[in-house]
Amino acid sequence: MVRTLLFLALLALASAGWAESPITLGASVQLTGPVANTGRYYKDAYEFAIDRINAAGGVKIGGTSRKLALKLLDNQSDVNLSVRQYVQLLSEDKVDLLLGPFASNFVLADSAISEKYQVPMVQGGGASDQIYSRGYHYIFGTLPPASNYFGTTIEALSKLSPKPAKVALLYADDAFDVAVAKGAREQLAHAGFNTAIDERYTSNTSDFTSLLSRIKSSNTEVVLVAGHETEALNFIRQAKSLGVSPKLYSFTVGVPSADFRQALGSDANYAAGMTAWLPHKSLKDHWFGDAEQFAKAYQAKYGYEPDYHAASGVATVEAMVKAIEAANSVDPRKVRDALAHVNFSSAYGQVAFGPTGQISLPQTMIQVQNGKVVAIYGPSGALGKLQYPMPAWGKR
Amino acid sequence: MTRRTRRVLVTLAIGLPLLAALPWIASPVVVQFGINMLIMATLAQGWNIIGGYTGYSSFGNSVFFGLGAYGVGIAMAQFEQPFWIGLGLGLLLAVIFALAIGLPVLRLKGHYFAIATLGLAEVVTAIVSNVPIAGQNVGLVLPLLKSDVLFYELSLGLLLLATLTVFWLSRSRFGLGLIAIRENEEAAAVMGVNTTRYKILAFMLSAALTSLAGGVYAYYITFIDPAGAFDISLNVKMIIMAVFGGPGTVLGPVAGALLLSVLSEVLASKVTNIAGLFFGLVIIVAVVLMPRGLADLLQKFRRSGWRYFAQNIRSHRL
Amino acid sequence: MLLAQVLLNGLLLGGLYALMALGLALVWGVLNIVNLSHGAFIMLGAYATYFLFAKAHLDPFLALPFAALALFMLGYAVQRGILNLVIRGPMFNTLLITFGLEVVITFLAQFFFSADFRTINPGYAGTNFDVGGLTIPRIQLMAFAIAIGLTLGLWAFLLHSRPGRSIRAVSQNLLAAQLYGIEPRRIYAITFGLGTAMAGVAGGLYGTVSQINPYIGTALTAKSFVIAIIGGLDNPLGVIVGGLFLGLAESLTALYIGPTYTDVASFGILVLVLIVKPTGLLGRTA
Repeated sequence: MVRTLLFLALLALASAGWAESPITLGASVQLTGPVANTGRYYKDAYEFAIDRINAAGGVKIGGTSRKLALKLLDNQSDVNLSVRQYVQLLSEDKVDLLLGPFASNFVLADSAISEKYQVPMVQGGGASDQIYSRGYHYIFGTLPPASNYFGTTIEALSKLSPKPAKVALLYADDAFDVAVAKGAREQLAHAGFNTAIDERYTSNTSDFTSLLSRIKSSNTEVVLVAGHETEALNFIRQAKSLGVSPKLYSFTVGVPSADFRQALGSDANYAAGMTAWLPHKSLKDHWFGDAEQFAKAYQAKYGYEPDYHAASGVATVEAMVKAIEAANSVDPRKVRDALAHVNFSSAYGQVAFGPTGQISLPQTMIQVQNGKVVAIYGPSGALGKLQYPMPAWGKR
Repeated sequence: MTRRTRRVLVTLAIGLPLLAALPWIASPVVVQFGINMLIMATLAQGWNIIGGYTGYSSFGNSVFFGLGAYGVGIAMAQFEQPFWIGLGLGLLLAVIFALAIGLPVLRLKGHYFAIATLGLAEVVTAIVSNVPIAGQNVGLVLPLLKSDVLFYELSLGLLLLATLTVFWLSRSRFGLGLIAIRENEEAAAVMGVNTTRYKILAFMLSAALTSLAGGVYAYYITFIDPAGAFDISLNVKMIIMAVFGGPGTVLGPVAGALLLSVLSEVLASKVTNIAGLFFGLVIIVAVVLMPRGLADLLQKFRRSGWRYFAQNIRSHRL
Repeated sequence: MLLAQVLLNGLLLGGLYALMALGLALVWGVLNIVNLSHGAFIMLGAYATYFLFAKAHLDPFLALPFAALALFMLGYAVQRGILNLVIRGPMFNTLLITFGLEVVITFLAQFFFSADFRTINPGYAGTNFDVGGLTIPRIQLMAFAIAIGLTLGLWAFLLHSRPGRSIRAVSQNLLAAQLYGIEPRRIYAITFGLGTAMAGVAGGLYGTVSQINPYIGTALTAKSFVIAIIGGLDNPLGVIVGGLFLGLAESLTALYIGPTYTDVASFGILVLVLIVKPTGLLGRTA
């Protein structure tokens, strides 16, 4: 008798637990392989956001609250494997909704799966305009368009006097950087700059000496580089060893991340770049308070400063939660429709998706000054003082 | 032999319809796994012709795969042609390429041939990433077709085609000529085998099958770029699967592809972030313990049991 | 002036390239093993030098001998424990097993060293001096000198030392060498160890001019192939020619044709050399 009662009690407990089964978000990210350096930020970001949201009670649906769970797979930096893993997440692991991988080429391939299965994917790792030009309905992104990465930088440059006479635009040949260069080229022409060198290079190039020698011999004053972090590191080190010091150089990636500054030490100084996100108090967040608190808590947990990748990853989780609550359901189609209308302020910024599914956030031009990232120029104008021209290598 | 052939035929008669019916029975994950497995098996089978039968370990088969993929990609994404036209275009590109490079490259032997084809793979990748019509290094986005059944049946058909080709090869004059070249090229030439022509034909045949697989894959995955389409590690996988199963046999590469696909799929989803390590270890252990593949293992294991592995090491070590 | 500077850059780069390929060519030429994990050993050498520099505060150039020693022991063990077991098997088995080694080494490197980007950045890194309008980077010049010096040293070692002569004997006729009392297992392991030690030094130098991460190996293996093939496997001097040739070819391609065509040029040269003269530019005629 006692045993039966006990059994019934256990059964009741268990079924109560099941009644609130978690909402599972699925993602395949680069934990190993050549892209793992940035890919791993997304794992940390997803877990960080989900833990915080769960600690605050989870997601409210139909009067009850449900916890979030994460099913994360490692795609070993292999695009083909990541596509297979997204199918697996949807059809075998039965995840409810999808978060994205890092990098435009991965998103390009993986979003075909979310489209095929009509389950929305919110991704914070791909910015190429190509992702959104295919008329897909189930892909949403929290990185602003690649074509505008250099927008504020070029605006800041055109305010300099005297205006830089010669500009070089160097870009890697992958989807994201080609899109960045296309936008920058138009903006440079529009602002009346003389683009003396406009050169595409192979992704993962390790030798920039020929390009650097050309920059030096043509007295180019400003160099804009759209590439990967490894390339930025090699570019700066080789610039130093060949004594190439233009008045300013700016890189699309690397500059905001702690890893970059650590690898270069004091040679990172004066490098300019951009970020869609800075941990500023003014960015209020429902779960984290504000961006500054978010950054502190993140660093305390993972031991490195979050950059925009991490913040963007967190924003994808928040957007998903907001959409589920608005839809009052985890039905993929309803969540998709709700995602199209989310509009909320987060530690990452104001999150709302345009008609193609991409967020629109301004980039802030930044520069490393004495080992710290300093905001230089935002959409509303100057935020800090640009150290320009940067001193020759021997005079630092 | 005839009894064995009959057994194989009976197995096929029951197995094939079952395999073909799989998309209606199994879950989407199994179907997807099936598509990948079948494509990998086709690639391993394609490599088997030039690597297993002819003895030329090509590292250039990923080029054929990529050309097949780009044939479909260019036709569909740039000219809005139907899939079939793209498949034909890719096939044509790959076969012509095999013919053009086969002549100079197939004169090289052993490691030199391997490295030359490896170099060719790099050259073609680098060229394609500069060609505007192929989308340079950014890649091409293909239209989305939401029918995995079609891709599954296509891949199954391809593997069947490849395996039948190899089956025919294994008992034709042509195939015997290839084996003679593998065993001793000078002797084969003395025996009257036109070695140059045989080798180039084998290379072209291998290219044709591989490019078709590439074409199907491109349409299936909907996005191709040079790094993905001309992936050299894909070429290594073909070799591993063929060698693991038994190079120069009809069914070895298929069995190898099946086993290794299951293994890597399970690893990638269950122990997800150490899958890469396991993959490497499996290769090392397999090469040390069973350097002649599954086919050889099955044949001899019954006779010598566990000593089979020790014998292998003894006969191949210094 | 620009052309002169670019030629200089190419030459300096070429010296480092030569050292990278030296170990590969040695192992290929003597043991007939095409070592696809060669780049992974270069990567390990870079990390060894990095940790000696960053944790033990050793000058990177002083750290090189230690890195070389560590890599020699590793290479010796790998040949003795693994590669010697399969060396008489079918040809592509050694290709496969070294590919597997590359996968394992890369994975372990990322597991233990993380995917963080590292640089070996001593205070004098990046300094340079001018000679007649040309900028000469100090570290690259030192790396160049060490690379050429080591290559010449290896040449002398093979020609004039006892173990060197054993190695050449083994490469020319294994059976005859055994008859003269040479223990091939040890000689094979020493040769492979020498190859990985060279890779280790190349890695350390690479780290002082470039960045290090666990994945740099594959591309470096490919480059080493190009150099070894251009130069031929017969003697270490060929590797110097191959390295300098590739360095110049890449720099000039980047300058005149465009930086996206460097791979077309370098691998195109590889294929052409193989087709026209498989024994390398300096090699014996077949």
